[in-house]
Amino acid sequence: MIARVTPVLFLVARKLVGALLTLFFLATVVFFLTKLTPGDEARVVAGPDASPAEVEAVRDRLGLSGTLLQQYLNYLGRLVHGDLGTATSSQGSVSSAVLGVLPGTTQLVVVALLITVTVAVPLAVRSAVRSSGAGDGLRRVLVIVAAGMPTFWLAIMLQNLIASDWHVLPISGDVAVGIRIPTITGFTLVDALLGGSPVAFWDVAAHLVLPAIVLAIPFIGQLFRILRAELMRVLHRDHITVALAAGVSPPGVLWRNAIPQIVNPALLILGAEFGGMFGGAILVESVFGRNGLGAYMTNALAQKDTASVLGGVLAVGVIVVATSLVVDTVQIIRDPRVRAEQLGARG
Amino acid sequence: MSLIERARAASAGADMPTGTTAPAQAAPSWRISRPRRTRKSTPLDIATVVVVALIVLAAAIGPLIAPDVHSSHIADALLPPSAGHWFGTDQQGRDVFWRVVVGARESLTAGVIIVIGYSLLGLVIASLTIVGPRWFRELVTRFIDLGLAFPSLVFALGVAAALGPSLATACVALIVTGWPLTARLLQGIMKEVVTSPFVEGARVLGVSRTRLIVRHVLPNSLPVLWVKWAGDIGNTVLVLGALSFVGAGAQPPSAEWGAMVSSAQSIVSHAWWAALFPGLAIAVTTAAFGLLGDLLHLRSNPADGKGR
Repeated sequence: MIARVTPVLFLVARKLVGALLTLFFLATVVFFLTKLTPGDEARVVAGPDASPAEVEAVRDRLGLSGTLLQQYLNYLGRLVHGDLGTATSSQGSVSSAVLGVLPGTTQLVVVALLITVTVAVPLAVRSAVRSSGAGDGLRRVLVIVAAGMPTFWLAIMLQNLIASDWHVLPISGDVAVGIRIPTITGFTLVDALLGGSPVAFWDVAAHLVLPAIVLAIPFIGQLFRILRAELMRVLHRDHITVALAAGVSPPGVLWRNAIPQIVNPALLILGAEFGGMFGGAILVESVFGRNGLGAYMTNALAQKDTASVLGGVLAVGVIVVATSLVVDTVQIIRDPRVRAEQLGARG
Repeated sequence: MSLIERARAASAGADMPTGTTAPAQAAPSWRISRPRRTRKSTPLDIATVVVVALIVLAAAIGPLIAPDVHSSHIADALLPPSAGHWFGTDQQGRDVFWRVVVGARESLTAGVIIVIGYSLLGLVIASLTIVGPRWFRELVTRFIDLGLAFPSLVFALGVAAALGPSLATACVALIVTGWPLTARLLQGIMKEVVTSPFVEGARVLGVSRTRLIVRHVLPNSLPVLWVKWAGDIGNTVLVLGALSFVGAGAQPPSAEWGAMVSSAQSIVSHAWWAALFPGLAIAVTTAAFGLLGDLLHLRSNPADGKGR
């Protein structure tokens, strides 16, 4: 038992160190980006009428005094305590603002990811099993068109067609005017359920459907393409041929011998897509007027509030790193080959 | 190339072969010539090439033959598509068709500059992973990992915010966020080439490290990039459009496609054409260049045609 658990703990611990190192890297890059911003941040925060003494006080408060190295250490120190700085537009704390909008975006991304899996996995399996070359060109075009779809444009067009013209779904926002949702978790779907109102739940869900579908479309194309290729590679392996030759039924081979082999690749891709979706969510949220990180960051951009935009960047960075840590851990626990490979190649 | 890299590759839109290792693409030139197995052109291939040629043509001569697309003619505002205005007119009475044509130059030029820029950056960073002490190489590798993991749109938004939004800063933002995939691809190939017998041989013969990299490793590593570029340009046009759309790229009077969609967003309910056509231009460009990249890849690796 010890022999089995110890390498897992060791490898996970090493991944954790790597993740922390990655975050440190990101923080460093972001710090230097703040230094690139033209203009004096302390001056902007203090306001146009501030006296030089007031500006200096603000400079001290923001950790902008002293040498570059001191400022950098200051910045890292504050980050460790979860302090993302002060918004130049509202003077409020960036951390609490980001935490406030994060659940909305996470909810959208999770729903979009569920849609992606539900659509792409069955299609990929079906297409890999029945690959005959017929419709090959059409499939390639569809996949490439889906994967290269300008999300923001698709969002506008569908919003106009389905919501405005056909009145099938609500046009924008998180919930209809007049419906109140208690704030418990911040995830409006969950909160509506906890609040015990089916009407509110369905309304929130209706507001979520179109944005989530639009966000999912490029990712469906990607997941389909990779899963199909992976599954076809597995299907050409010897053990599959042997199993088929030995008389195991083709569906049995597919479900017991082939599909389990693409679970790990699928997890890796889903991990990457989860991070990527936060990028797409920025566009989709701004079109559908949803409350979330996207609206927060684009508004901050319009107000030249660099601190808030970079706070959002760091938040996404933490999510991405955490996701990849989770995916790596699952892989290490699930697959002895991954353990062997990583123990062998000390990297 | 590991799976996660292929996953990232795919989410970045680049079309990676599955089941083949990347160095196979850099076909060793010492191989005795064999009859070339070429792939027959399908109607799809021809359509791809024609569409790409039309887009390039629009970018090349569009601005020369187009009427003035920037001054407004309020009397002609919001006309639906007709024989006179194929794609209709926008809220300032400007012809949407000609603006889309003229916008091709802005989008494509920016796309090409960005792809060249980040390829060079990726090349430099990949080269760093085969020189220097071990801890340094691992640090650079970790840096590439970070770049790969990060959604480039989010980071580009941060860069654009820090530098102030404009088309030029969007280009800078996409260059400094676009390199990781190229770097990872080149890193794998360079590692392979560095340990290949002819390089080992040259090293034994006393060829200097710099000369080894410049004369032997680079020429054998770069060919993979040409194939990747087509798809990259399409994707860059897409991301650039997205940045312009959220206000971090080309600014309103510009005919850049994302900026056009952005300014048409408020009038879409009664003038759908002003938003439909520029967005369609982005979609078609991205898809056409993506298919072109696919086509070039299949041409250079006919064996990969199966299993795709």
